[in-house]
Amino acid sequence: MRNEIAVYIDKVHVEYPIAGQAPRSILNGISLEIESGEFVAIVGETGCGKSTLLRLILGEEKPTRGRLLVNGYERSQPDRSCGYVPQKYSLFPDKTVLDNVTFGLEVTSFGAWPGARWVHPKQMRRFREEALLYLRHTGLDESDARKYPHQLSGGMQQRVAIAQALIMKPPILLMDEAFSALDPATRTGMQQLIKTLWRESGTTIVFVTHNTREAVCLGTRIIALSKDGDGARGSSIALDLAVPDLDFDSEESDIGDLVREVESAAVRERPLVYN
Amino acid sequence: MSFLRIHAQPGRTTAWTLSWFLFALGIVLYFYVAQARHRENPDERVMPTIGQMVRGFSDAALKPAEEEEAQASSGSLAARFRGSMLWKDTEASGRRFLISVALLFPAVLLGLHMAMFPVIGAFFLRFILFFDKIVALSLLPILFIAFGIDELSKIMLIVIGVTPTIILDTFNLSKSVPREQIVKGFTLGANDFSITYRIVFKQILPRVLNSIRLNLKAVMLFLFAGEMIASTDGLAYRIALLRRHMGMDTIIPYVLWVALLLFLVDFAMNKINHKLHPWFEAA
Repeated sequence: MRNEIAVYIDKVHVEYPIAGQAPRSILNGISLEIESGEFVAIVGETGCGKSTLLRLILGEEKPTRGRLLVNGYERSQPDRSCGYVPQKYSLFPDKTVLDNVTFGLEVTSFGAWPGARWVHPKQMRRFREEALLYLRHTGLDESDARKYPHQLSGGMQQRVAIAQALIMKPPILLMDEAFSALDPATRTGMQQLIKTLWRESGTTIVFVTHNTREAVCLGTRIIALSKDGDGARGSSIALDLAVPDLDFDSEESDIGDLVREVESAAVRERPLVYN
Repeated sequence: MSFLRIHAQPGRTTAWTLSWFLFALGIVLYFYVAQARHRENPDERVMPTIGQMVRGFSDAALKPAEEEEAQASSGSLAARFRGSMLWKDTEASGRRFLISVALLFPAVLLGLHMAMFPVIGAFFLRFILFFDKIVALSLLPILFIAFGIDELSKIMLIVIGVTPTIILDTFNLSKSVPREQIVKGFTLGANDFSITYRIVFKQILPRVLNSIRLNLKAVMLFLFAGEMIASTDGLAYRIALLRRHMGMDTIIPYVLWVALLLFLVDFAMNKINHKLHPWFEAA
């Protein structure tokens, strides 16, 4: 039985106008359905439109043509239906770790007035307790909660960003090259963390990466985008592949074969659908 | 020549000595030249000696202002200072200065909203960009005609001179907040105003305070222009008045007093900024 459709993309084109020239095409008629609870990894070379596709789902950009629905609705701007973890600037630098994580709960309860946190101390205490739970769950402890983002390592910052997004219990979590700036060891730790969190929460995750190995190890479905020959028509889906839910200690040969298959798909003209 | 290298690391004492060197040199040079001129001409008034300046400053700081001479000529040192010409002038200029700085905060809010709400930006930006190019001092006659020669025209001169810079600076600072932060705010359930005040404003505030700090001198410049042309009190009024009598023994201490006050305001604002925003410099 099929799950609910979380993201529905139908023949979406994205073009950017350039003064005095033909518009630059980024995405060329992408069609895609993402079911609730899937872990979709989007791969492709730099500039192929992975992040554009993510921004479309986020509601930050609108397609030039085509239709895009998130949880059955067209979106005019980002909202709580999608959590977001970007590669950079994922935390508010002026807030401590704890305040970063409670921020969503605060603004949805109290609105724009920052003084409200002093008027509702009981609620704030509850928010902080909940935030500490999420921080512990992402591998941080109470002593980190009082630090500012600049006092944390890159990996710790991304852990906080994940806790900050997950505390709002978004139906969909969008991650844009979220681990790209991390060193290999930290990156592996973060990959394991996000996979565990996904298994526990059942949140739909759309994970953009240029690292094929990361996509294969994390995703239960891989979408490979590739440009056409000269890149003028924009990118389309070159591969749509359901992959087994691999663990990080899976046989190296299983991972290697999948990585080679996904990487070779980026040069094919017709999409390969294995779902 | 190792001290002229990029990687040179002057020790604490060296850095401290170097930082005061030009002050010491300026003072020594001044008094050397002043003494020489006084030896040539005992009635020299352009470069008063240290003794003359101390007397001039002490008269300004401790002798009563003309109008209250009778009641303030005696009493404690603090009481005498409060009744002095220097205090009265500082009070008058300080009041105008504080009102003008307070009026910069609406400018900050306007710049913030222009950056965050495209309709407000479209409405104001072109006008402010043009307004910023108007030389405020050229408006002085119009201000005196429109607002009279009272306090209002002097404060308006400062507001017109400095406000557009603050508005545009806040606008640019708000625009420089990474888009990811705004998107993140929306995905966490924040609305337009929560994002404006709780994400963007809080992030730019330390930079805005720095911008106001850097514009304090411009505020004083316009304040002095207004006071010199049309005023009956204030530090600049006094300097302009003393110029007529070649009262350099008081003018120089007055100039140093103004510089000291501005330095202290700047220092205090910097300290407060760091205290309020411990994350700022390191982030």
